Amino acid sequence: MTDILLKTSNLTVVYPTKRGAFKALDDISIEIETGKIVGLVGESGAGKSTVGRAVLDLIDAPGYIAEGEIDFQGESLIGKSNDFFTQIRGRKVGYVFQNPMTALDPVMTIGKQVLEAIYANTDLKGEQAYERALDLLTQTRIKDPKDVMEKYPHQMSGGMCQRVVFAIAISANPDLIIADEPTTALDVSVQRSVMDTLIDLCRQYKISVMLVTHDIGVISEYCDFVYVMRHGKHVEQGPTQEVINHPKQDYTRNLMAAVPRLSKRLDRFRVLETVTDAQSKAREVILRYFQESDFPDNDELLLQVDKASCIFNTKSGFFGPPKTTIGLDTVSFTQNRKEILGIVGESGSGKSTMGRAILGLQRLNSGSITYKGTSLTDNNGRAITKDIRLSMQCIFQDPFSSLNPRMTAGENVTFPIRTHKLLPDWLSAKELAENLMLSVGLEASAAYRYPQEFSGGQRQRIAIARAMAFRPEFIFCDEPTSALDVSVQAETLNLMKDLRDQYHLTLLFVSHDLAVVRQMCDRIIVMRNGAICEIANPDQIIENPSHDYTRSLIAAMPKLDLSA
Amino acid sequence: MLSFIVNRVAHSLVVAWIISAIVFFGMYVVADPIDSFLPEDATAADEQAFIEAYNLDKPALVQYGSFLIRLVQGDLGISFNHGEPVLDLILDRLPATLELAVIALAFALLIGIPLGIFSGLNPRTKRSKATMFLTTIGYSVPNFWQGIVLILVFAVTLRLLPAGGRGDTATFLGAEWAFLTLDGWRHMALPVINLAIYKICMHTRLARSGTRETKTQEFMTFAKAKGIADQTLIRSHLLPNILIPIVTITGLEFGALIAFSTVTETVFSWPGLGKLLIDSIKLGDQPVVTAYLVLISFMFVTINLIVDVVYALIDPRIRYSAQG
Repeated sequence: MTDILLKTSNLTVVYPTKRGAFKALDDISIEIETGKIVGLVGESGAGKSTVGRAVLDLIDAPGYIAEGEIDFQGESLIGKSNDFFTQIRGRKVGYVFQNPMTALDPVMTIGKQVLEAIYANTDLKGEQAYERALDLLTQTRIKDPKDVMEKYPHQMSGGMCQRVVFAIAISANPDLIIADEPTTALDVSVQRSVMDTLIDLCRQYKISVMLVTHDIGVISEYCDFVYVMRHGKHVEQGPTQEVINHPKQDYTRNLMAAVPRLSKRLDRFRVLETVTDAQSKAREVILRYFQESDFPDNDELLLQVDKASCIFNTKSGFFGPPKTTIGLDTVSFTQNRKEILGIVGESGSGKSTMGRAILGLQRLNSGSITYKGTSLTDNNGRAITKDIRLSMQCIFQDPFSSLNPRMTAGENVTFPIRTHKLLPDWLSAKELAENLMLSVGLEASAAYRYPQEFSGGQRQRIAIARAMAFRPEFIFCDEPTSALDVSVQAETLNLMKDLRDQYHLTLLFVSHDLAVVRQMCDRIIVMRNGAICEIANPDQIIENPSHDYTRSLIAAMPKLDLSA
Repeated sequence: MLSFIVNRVAHSLVVAWIISAIVFFGMYVVADPIDSFLPEDATAADEQAFIEAYNLDKPALVQYGSFLIRLVQGDLGISFNHGEPVLDLILDRLPATLELAVIALAFALLIGIPLGIFSGLNPRTKRSKATMFLTTIGYSVPNFWQGIVLILVFAVTLRLLPAGGRGDTATFLGAEWAFLTLDGWRHMALPVINLAIYKICMHTRLARSGTRETKTQEFMTFAKAKGIADQTLIRSHLLPNILIPIVTITGLEFGALIAFSTVTETVFSWPGLGKLLIDSIKLGDQPVVTAYLVLISFMFVTINLIVDVVYALIDPRIRYSAQG
């Protein structure tokens, strides 16, 4: 007989809304065996986090468990008092949140937060508790635990904070850890080692894990068993390798197909796409709109960056001397027309700074940037004309904050064009907005709705449409798909490739995700600490990297063997 | 931190100087002390003596210059009306105002914050909604009207409490205080309530909105998930995180209580600073008004400085540089 630690049967969680009850979870049954690592995978809105929260009675009001059973160690958790749950939380079930920077109390020292958990869940007191805290921090591989005890969360990196969260979660030797996207908010370069720390500890102490994630790579590497969820419903379940390699359901199959592979390059992501008549007509209109500006269809030199350097001065507060951080360190590269050039690196590597410098949002301390033969940097950019400005556009990472919520999508897209009076006579703002919406794969009527009515992926399409409205030659894309689900990411990336092909765009594509960059780019720049490590084509970077740092980046990617 | 404080003190000097100029010249234009303060039967010699005593024959700029020079030496001038040094007048009335302000503010914090946290934690309950309704009334109804109603109910109809005055006082630290005598408390009750109602309402609303915002933060859920009991959760995680806006408002309100309790002090004939100010403005007692406002501007800057320092103590993410 197998030993079932946690079991939910027909669990249904309901959020009453003005438009009727919304089922965040609909008839979910899962089982976690003692000592096993079980994955819950799905895209945003799948309800996978809700499962973990339901177990510890942490569902935000007005949501409630409408139906179903939760059994933990043979005891039902339904309808129990808050005091009962206080005994379970921390003692028997540890919880790890997605973002350690928001999970730790910003105004309390790390030490106090760890000690608080020890006091609440164990009998240890005073000196013993302190020793235990130090021991926990050491076990989660934190250097100088004594110093860390005195620090505040904002003084530490995200990876370090997440290790503190682990220390708190295992402080009372729980039987189960619910890890809700434990590495999603962390820098790529540390994700792997942080995840390894958690899994090693859990194996060492025979703690079962409920691993909630959207990342198929993480699932494939760590989980014994996996449940796939969508829109609060169960899709399929099975041993990890079986589900990943031989998915039974269409949804799972599409999900797997949308995951960018590091190992091989595909022209397009395989997602179901149909182009309607209205869309193809709209693309013709937009093409005519673009052709007016008469960009040459060649692959000559467009952008040249020569020994670009910049330094940030930050005050270190109190009496400390001003600190200088290197933003860019003698960066040189060129980009040809119609090329998609990728920049990868961890946060702080200067990849976004480079793009900002090209757009004139960040001043260089030395070096030069030349675009279409015009210097963007000489004499503080005196030579930059409005035409040049308008031909360079950008797409930001967060589609939730980059659109004006008080304007409709159409107004967002055409407002700058109307401001600059760039509309041709044959095209009205209304037509332009509708056609742009169609050409980025939305309905024409989307132009009249407000940004908050759209999902993340749809908003990013609007942001792309806004950049397109300028008839740009060059678009700087700053992590354009990092906030999106994999299937939406696949569609968005396909769209950007199409746009490049149709309208002869040049894209500078910044991402932390090597697999995405490999699929998208013609050449890749690897950056670290503001300097370029290497520039090469994707195949060479992935299969035969010449720089140690590139190798470590590739090693840090979760291994995903997909036969599909 | 030190350079930040030095910097702020320098700022405060500039502010105080600008205030002094505005008030001095404003009063110079508006008021004619000779008309106001000389008795009707004064002779030409009396008038001459008065003019010379206060340098009223000199040009405004010269008068202002000598005012500044005396100010730097700590001499705030002599009141036209009372014939006493302004500093003595102010120090004489400060205790009366100070005790009102401190007690009213203590009520505001002790009642307002727990009430706000409670209603923020359960925003949908009837009690919470009733609290919000009452606080809205509390801070929208004009202060003077509240005062008059209080007098009407407690002093006139019920005859429980005196309608005005300060009652008995006792000496403590060389000043006269009403809070040391029972009669003093009886006299203080109504003005304190009058001052406190508005502050309680404001602190309730601040604490409530802070609580509603903070309780949904992930660190609250995480603390709960790590097995912390509800009371500890509120005391050690919620409270420190909602304090920042409360400290700001408390600082400003404390300043306002000391400087501008004018309405309450007038309604209850409380012999404090607010009453001194309003009487002096009415009479055109320029030395008192000018000195008073210069001191008050100093006080506000000092309170703000203290507030900023307290910020850094509450929230470690706030660090100050010399630019402040």
